[in-house]
This record gives sequence, structure tokens and C-alpha cells, in this order.
Amino acid sequence: MAIKKYPVLIIDDHPLIVDAYKTALKYYTAQQSAINFTIQIAENCDSALQLINGYERKGKEPGLVFLDMKLPPSKDHKALSGEDLGLKINKLFPKTKIIVATTLNDNYRVDSILRSINPDGFLIKNDITPKELIQTIHTVLTDPPYYSHTVLKLLRTQIENNFFIDAIDRRILYELSTGTRMKELPNILPLSIAGIEKRKRQLKKIFDVSSLEDKQLIIVAKEKGFI
Amino acid sequence: MLKTPFFLKPNYIYQWLAAGVLFGLMAHANENEPIRTQYELLFSKIDSVNYWTKASKNTTYTLEQRKQFLLKCYHSIKANRTDTLRTRKLTSNAYQHLKLGDTLLFKAHNAEALKLATTLKDSFAIGDAHWNYATYYVNNEAYDNAYYHFNMAQDYFEKIGQLSELAYVQYGMAFIKGRFKDYTGSEVLTFKAIEIFKKTENYKSLFSCYNHLGNLQNDISKFDKALFYFEKAIENLNKVKNNNNLRQAVLNNIGNTYLKKGDYINALQNFNALLKNKHLKASNIENYARTIDNKAYCQLLMKDTTNVANALQEALDIRMNQDRKSGVVISKIHFAHYYAYAQDTLKAIAYAKEANALAKDIRNGRDYLETLSVLAHLDKKNSAIYLKKHIDFSDSLIVIERNIQNKFTRIAYETDEYIEETQRLLQQKIWIITISSILFLVFGFSIYITDEKSKKRALLFENEQQKANEQVYLISLKQQEKIENERILERNRIAEDLHDGVLGRLFGTRLGLGFLNIEGNEKTKNDHVSFLNELQTIEKEIRDVCHKLSDNTTSSQINFSSIIHNIIESKSKLGDFTFKLDFDPAIDWQHINQITKVNLFRILQEALLNILKHASATKVTLNFWFHNKKLLMEIKDDGVSFDAKQKRKGIGIKNMKSRTEKLNGKFSIVSKHNKGTQIIIKIPI
Repeated sequence: MAIKKYPVLIIDDHPLIVDAYKTALKYYTAQQSAINFTIQIAENCDSALQLINGYERKGKEPGLVFLDMKLPPSKDHKALSGEDLGLKINKLFPKTKIIVATTLNDNYRVDSILRSINPDGFLIKNDITPKELIQTIHTVLTDPPYYSHTVLKLLRTQIENNFFIDAIDRRILYELSTGTRMKELPNILPLSIAGIEKRKRQLKKIFDVSSLEDKQLIIVAKEKGFI
Repeated sequence: MLKTPFFLKPNYIYQWLAAGVLFGLMAHANENEPIRTQYELLFSKIDSVNYWTKASKNTTYTLEQRKQFLLKCYHSIKANRTDTLRTRKLTSNAYQHLKLGDTLLFKAHNAEALKLATTLKDSFAIGDAHWNYATYYVNNEAYDNAYYHFNMAQDYFEKIGQLSELAYVQYGMAFIKGRFKDYTGSEVLTFKAIEIFKKTENYKSLFSCYNHLGNLQNDISKFDKALFYFEKAIENLNKVKNNNNLRQAVLNNIGNTYLKKGDYINALQNFNALLKNKHLKASNIENYARTIDNKAYCQLLMKDTTNVANALQEALDIRMNQDRKSGVVISKIHFAHYYAYAQDTLKAIAYAKEANALAKDIRNGRDYLETLSVLAHLDKKNSAIYLKKHIDFSDSLIVIERNIQNKFTRIAYETDEYIEETQRLLQQKIWIITISSILFLVFGFSIYITDEKSKKRALLFENEQQKANEQVYLISLKQQEKIENERILERNRIAEDLHDGVLGRLFGTRLGLGFLNIEGNEKTKNDHVSFLNELQTIEKEIRDVCHKLSDNTTSSQINFSSIIHNIIESKSKLGDFTFKLDFDPAIDWQHINQITKVNLFRILQEALLNILKHASATKVTLNFWFHNKKLLMEIKDDGVSFDAKQKRKGIGIKNMKSRTEKLNGKFSIVSKHNKGTQIIIKIPI
């Protein structure tokens, strides 16, 4: 069996986590001797971009990317987080498998990451154990995707409540939940106050909320896993 | 200026003799007995007094009874309202007292009437009261006082055009002037009176006036003119019924005039004509005595002594009987003349001396002088003494008369001045009243304005205070919000640090630990796994903490409901009551105006204060709900009720109401007996 070479890109600003990934990969190689990982590490967006651009120049692509969402942004502010990097990787190297590992666990962000990056592995850092990490690597390499427990739970609630809620609705809910003022929303969203209000009324209808206060709406939306 | 009306003290008080006194005084100027002419001329009055007055006039009662009636009348008048009718009745009443000879009551009542009339400015009553005084002083022979009051009465009657009264008063003045030999003045006044009496066709009074004019002419020895006036008097008398007494009086006067003129034949003729009346002696014995006496004297002057002594004696006897002292004096003078003519000087002197003493006794100056001249003529030895006495006395008389005449002039002048002065004072009074009332108005107005201003200022101040209060509240609210926001930011930062830093590192550590191949026995391996699990649990807990920290929705705004909750909770502890707080979830507090919230908060504060202070409630319910685009707040307690309908509402309720109205809302308060109080605020949103 020929040894398959797998260039691996670990993008995470926590050296401990990077070490953990490395250990996991080592364990995996120990189990699957047919795979040989070549590991490169980026601790921030800039070095990550550098590495990505390097692959692109060489006309190569990484086989597997561990991607953290929360990263120090690039100096030119072209990439603010792992999400931007993920999008770029998807664009440049469609075949590259991405494992998003994040401490974020609010439903909205998880959902939006699912939609935008559509990673092959989605790990909520807290969910996983070393064993699970190895399992993830295996599943992603052999039969993706692999979602950790929290992500699966979210997907399930969304299927249960099959509402028609678009990205902007979600964004509105999300912004309200973080305490953004109504009057600030038009600066964030491509909508007027009236438009936002209209959507809010619609959302309240969908979530069956009678209260005029947003609080109730947000509570319900959270219960339903939309934020 | 005003001379006291009592500047001459009455030396004694005569019994009321009506106008006869005046005529008596007047008649002695004719060296004759007093002639009683009409009683009512000078003093007749318009009597509009009531029943008691009538009763008091009824001569069938005794004098005491009549006085009692008058007093009753007085009290009934006093009980009446204060008006002009009352004052007029009072003056009439006073006059009746005078008539009945009760001078003390007269003076008291008349003074009262005058005072009242002066206050009421009732010129007629003032004149009437003065007329009363004049009458009283004439009775007391205080002629200067009498003249003063006549003059006052004249001025007041003239002022209001009270003609008939004016004429009477003028006649009274004319009489007094004639008495003191101011013949011209007396004539002028009499003509004035005549003018009026002619207009009013008062023939009886006209007769009196012409009679008076005749007497005046007699006094200045214009006998033809005197006879002319007496004729006129008779002309007017012919138009008067029951004129016998008056006719005899004027005929007597005519006879006297002829006698004085020296036309003894005509005089005798006149007296004889009078004596032809067979009823004379029976109807008027005094007149009869006067007539026979005059006739006898006339005969004596014609040097015809037939039956003269008898006639003189008869007259003297009658007069002695009637106690007519002035008549007695005249009789005795006539006897003196008779005995002088009969050459019986001793007897003549004796009669003359008797007459002289009596004349002196009754203070009849004219007759006293006459007797003195007779005595000087008869008593040759003492002639010089009598002459001197005569000269001295007549000089003193002249001086007195002059003085009195001067006094009259002065009185007339002073009355004019008094009236002018009163007018001036009145004008002054009007000015003072006008100016002071204007000043008062200005003062009052300025006080009103300052008061209004200060009220307005206070209101403005209160308004500003309220605004400032609200501003402070809003500012503090904003401040609190700011602090809260800072806190949220800080919390978020902590959450992020925990989440990204600690949690990440913990995760890394846990993974690293997990990948460590623990060498050892089974227990060590198990411990390793359980520690790893423990670490994972810790991570989870930290994550939850992070979530809670960054869950900003509930605290992103200063929560109105929590403020409300806080205040009612704190008050419930103070007032020892339980409370129930209910918010309609349909109310979007975030979108309700801060001002509205502030005012609702203040109203609630006020209501709770009332409950604490007055209600002693055990349970308070507070509800907020939304209905028909209106925000409603209900505050209900089960404490002591109060009268919600009472007009004067407490400042608390007023404040709540005004705050509600400021928000275009409706305020209602219901307080039922033993069922507590319910306040509902309805504000359109």
C-alpha cells in the first residue's frame, strides 16, 4: 500500500491545541500506516495566508486543514477570522478537507459556518476528547463529514422547526440577542428600520411570540436553535 | 365754624302757647293787648305720622296720656327702617313733643332727627328739624337762636324748593326782624313770603302777612300805609271761613292805627263797629276788654270823659280776672292818663307807678318806657330821675336791638358761610373719597398683579423644578445605562477572555493530557480518564459562564419593569403590605418614551406614598396592560377609602392628574367605602 502524502495545515493560535492536533495526527498515522502527514502551522491569519498563497503558487493544495475560527486578524484586514480563511481555502482548493474546530457554540454562528464554509469536520472544542479527535480525522479523510455532538444537536432542532428564515432574519435575531439597538441595525444590515421592523413582526409570527418586546422573541429563537 | 345752636341758654321754659306768644309780643308794640291770631300759621306742619300721633293730638286725653302716646309713636318710628320717611316722622314726632310742652324729649328727639337727616342728606328733614328748633327758641324768647334756625331751615327749604314751608319760615324770620326793629329786613322777608302764599293761594297766611306789614308800618308811624295793608289783610280774610277772631283782631289794629294817627273819629267809629257785635263779650272776652279799653282811651283823647272811668275799670277787671298782665299794664297806663286829665295827679302817679312796676316785672320794655315818660310828666319833683331812667333804658334797648340786628346779619352771613363750608367740605370729601378709592384700586390692583406674578413665578418655578427633576432622573437613567453598558462591555470582555483564552488553553491541555500514554496500573489509568472528564466538565461550566456573561438581552436596557418591581418591593416592606405585580408581555417597554415612563414612575411613587400614608392597606395590586393602543396602569389597594368626590383634592392626586394630562392621558380614581382605592391611568401610545 502506497503511502499517501497528506499536507496538513493547522491554523490555531493556541500552541497547546496545535500540539494536541499534532499528537492526534501522530496517533492516527500510527494506526493508519499508509498515511503520512506533512504538517505546517499558522498561528494567525497572516501566516495562514502566507502558507495558502505558497500552496497556490506551487500549484498544490493542502489535503487537510484544521481551522480555528477565532484568530488574530491579518494586518491588511483582508482576513479577520478563520471564517474568511475557510472561504478562501474553499475557493482556492475545493478538494481540501477542512476541519473547523472552535470554542464558539452559539447556534447562529455554527449555522452560518455550516452554510458558508460547509466544513468536512465541525468540532466544538469542548465536545471532543482525544479519541473523538482521532475519529474525526479518520471520518473526514475517509467518509466526511464529521460533526461533533453540539453541531448535530443544532441540526436536529433546525430540522424539527422547519421555518423559512433567511440569513438576514438570522442576522437580525443574532444582533438583537447581542444587545444591538434597533437604531444601530440599519448600519449593520442592508435594511431600513421599517424593513427590520417588518421582518421582526414576521419573525414573531413565525415563532408565535405575542409580546412586543424583543426579549421574548430572542428567547424563543434561542430555544429553537436559531441563535 | 358752626356755632352751637345752644349758645343762648333758655332762662325758663314757657308752657306751649302756640303762635299766640309771637302775636302777643308783636301786639304790645301797638300799646295794646296781645292779639291772638291763628295758631297754625307759623307752625302748622304736614303731619304724616301714624295713629299714635293722631291720638297724641286728641285733646280729649290728658296731657300725660298724650305724652305717652307720643313716646309710643317715637318708638314705633325707631323700629322702622332707616330712611327719609322715618326721619320725617321723627321730626314731626319731636314737634308734637314741643307742642305738648315736653321740651326735654323734644330736644333729644329733634337732635336725633337732625343727626339722622344729616346722614341721609334729607334736606327737607334737616329744614324741618331746624324749623322745630326755631319754634322752640321762639317759645323761649331766644330770638337770635330762633333766627339762626329759621335761617338754616330757610336755606334747606330753598335748596329743595319746598315753597310753602319756605314761606312759613320766612314769615317767622320777618316776625323776629320786626320784633327787633329791622323794619326793612322784615318787610323784604314778608314780601317774599307773600309771593309764595299768593302762588299757593293760602289766604289765611296772606292775611297774617299783610297784618304784619300793617303793624310794621304802624311802628314807623306810616299810618296810611298801615291802614292800606290792614285793608288788604281784610280782603284776604274775607276768603277765609270762621274768620271772626281774626277780623276782630285786624279791626282792633285798624282802630289803634287811627288812634295813633290822631284820627280819633275814625278810631272811635272802628271800636264802636266792633262793639256792635253783641256776641263779642261772650265769644272773646279778652278782645272785648281790649276793645272797650281802647274805645275809652280814644274817648279820653277826644276829651270826652263820659263813662270812660267805668269802661276802663271794666276792662281792667276783666284783665285782672284773666290774669293778662300786659293788658293790666295797659289798663293802668290808661287810668294814669285818665287821672292826669282829671287833675288827680296823686292817683295818676299811683297808677303809673303800678303800671311801671308791673311792666318791669313782665319785662315789657315798651310799656316800661311808656310808664316812665308818663311818670316824668306827672311827678314833677322826680321828673329828672324818670327821664334819666327813660333815656338809659331806651338807650340800652336800642343797643340791644342793634346788637341783635347785627347778630341776625351775622347769622345770615354765617349760615351762608356754613353752607358754603359744608359744600366745600362735601366737595373735599368727594375728592378725598375719589382719590382714596383710586389709590385703593391702584394699590389693590398692584397687589393683585404682584400676587399673580408671584403665583405665576411659583408655578413656573414648580414647572422648572419638575422639568429639572425629570431631567435629573433621565440623566441618572442615562448614566446608569452607560454604567450598565460599560459593565456589559466588561462582562463581554471577560467572557471572551475566558472563552477564547482560558477555554482554548484548557481544551489544548486536556487534549494533550488525553494523548499522554499514562503508564501505570488500572487505577491510575481510570483516574486519568476521570480527570480528563472532569476537565471537560470544567470547560463546559466555563462555557456556560461565558454564555451567561455575554447574554446581554436582559440587561441591555435599564429595565423599566425591574425599576417598578424594585420600588413596589421596597414600599411593601415599608408599608407592610403584600403586592402583586403584573406586566402585560405585549408592552414593549423599550419603545415607550422615556418621559412617559418617568411620569408613570412618578405617579406610581405618589400613589404608593398615599397608600403608605393614608390607606394602611394589606394588599396592593399593580397592573400594566395594553389595550386599544393605550397603555394602562392600575394601582389598587384594599385600605381605607377616602371621598374621591371632595372638591379640594390633595396635592398628590392633583400631581398625578396633571402628570397624566401632560401625557394626554386620562386619570380616574375610585374610592369605595371599605373597598380601598383604585387608580387607573390611561395613556395613548
